[in-house]
Amino acid sequence: VLHTSRPLHTTQQCLAPLPPLPEKGGEVRYGLIPEEFFQFLYPKTGVTGPYMLGTGLLLYFLSKEIYVINHETVAAACILSVIIYGVKKYGSDVAAFADKLNEEKVAKVLAVKNEAIKDLETAIEQEKKEQWRVEGRNYLFDAKRNNIAMLLETNYRERLLTVYNEVKKRLDYQVAMQNLKHQKEQDHMIHWVEKNVVQSITPQQQKESIAKCILDLKALSKSARAAV
Amino acid sequence: MNLSFFDQFASPCFLGIPLILLSMLFPALLFPAPNSRWITNRLSTLQLWSLHSITKHLMTPLNKKGHKWALILTSLMMLLLTTNLLGLLPYTFTPTTQLSMNMALAFPLWLATLLTGLRNQPSISLGHLLPEGTPTPLIPALIMIETTSLLIRPLALGVRLTANLTAGHLLIQLISTAITTLLPIMPTVSILTMSILLLLTILEVAVAMIQAYVFVLLLSLYLQENI
Repeated sequence: VLHTSRPLHTTQQCLAPLPPLPEKGGEVRYGLIPEEFFQFLYPKTGVTGPYMLGTGLLLYFLSKEIYVINHETVAAACILSVIIYGVKKYGSDVAAFADKLNEEKVAKVLAVKNEAIKDLETAIEQEKKEQWRVEGRNYLFDAKRNNIAMLLETNYRERLLTVYNEVKKRLDYQVAMQNLKHQKEQDHMIHWVEKNVVQSITPQQQKESIAKCILDLKALSKSARAAV
Repeated sequence: MNLSFFDQFASPCFLGIPLILLSMLFPALLFPAPNSRWITNRLSTLQLWSLHSITKHLMTPLNKKGHKWALILTSLMMLLLTTNLLGLLPYTFTPTTQLSMNMALAFPLWLATLLTGLRNQPSISLGHLLPEGTPTPLIPALIMIETTSLLIRPLALGVRLTANLTAGHLLIQLISTAITTLLPIMPTVSILTMSILLLLTILEVAVAMIQAYVFVLLLSLYLQENI
């Protein structure tokens, strides 16, 4: 009844701080009799005291037929042996299972805590890395600046070359034009001179020159024959 | 005191005060109260784990409306388990051997499932009376049979539990009497019978747990059909 009415309590029953509950139950001997009983009887009766008391009580009940041995005794012996066998065999396993349940509960929460700690540690490391990166920022900017300057320089030089080439092309054109004009004038003049000379050669002059050539040739051939 | 075989089934009375209520409520004292601590001792942890396990297995096949039955089915399971197991101890009275108590548990719960079904989904509930795929000429006979089977369910539930436990306890009593009488006459036979009794005790422990489970399981099955 005490336990069933507990949910009806809506406030604490006692405002004073309660003492902490013990972690384990009291020590028990033979699963039934608390250890304190043995300690209680120890000063007066020594170690065998409680056992003598138990045996005496049992024999008293049996001899006076306060407890009658009937069929229930046999049934009691059987069920008690089954219970004791079960407890001895599976007791530690069940206790380990209960402990494992509690361990899992604690481990789940610990895992949350550890994960939070790990996340914060990785955050700290990343922050430190960022700070290191900030220190090297100057070098980065210098390199970038140099890069850009080189690009500009290259661009400027390329354009300069283009300009030079263009100007040279135009000047070459002018030079070529002048040369062509010169050559054409020369050619024209030579042609005109030749034409005039050819025109000026009269037929008489032609005959004279041909006769002269023949005489020269004869003289030459003579000297050539002589040489051979 | 000389016990007859049926003294264990007599409803306990002390000085004229019926103790039946006390014997039914006693197992509740064995369970520690839900603890305000987060990490509890082993007993509380195991009790909590077993309650969670039972509730989970009972409620998995049910839909959301059936989850209203979680408390009553789980507490019924715990009551039956503890009363059955405690009844195996000597000189204890097992309330579940009384037909009156088992019928008082079975009949209202079964009727509740039936009325829930008839109220919320009457055609489906009545449709359960005819299994699928029956040949047409058999339909009238089958409906009669299914109605009988439906109406006999509470009786079956109550009587199953009563009969199993009463028979088990009676067998233990008889064999123990045989052992006690044979012990001075033929000790060897007595020892052999004792081994039978040991096996029977283990069976009775199993039966105690199984019967509790079967009772609650069948009720949850009836609920699944009707909710």
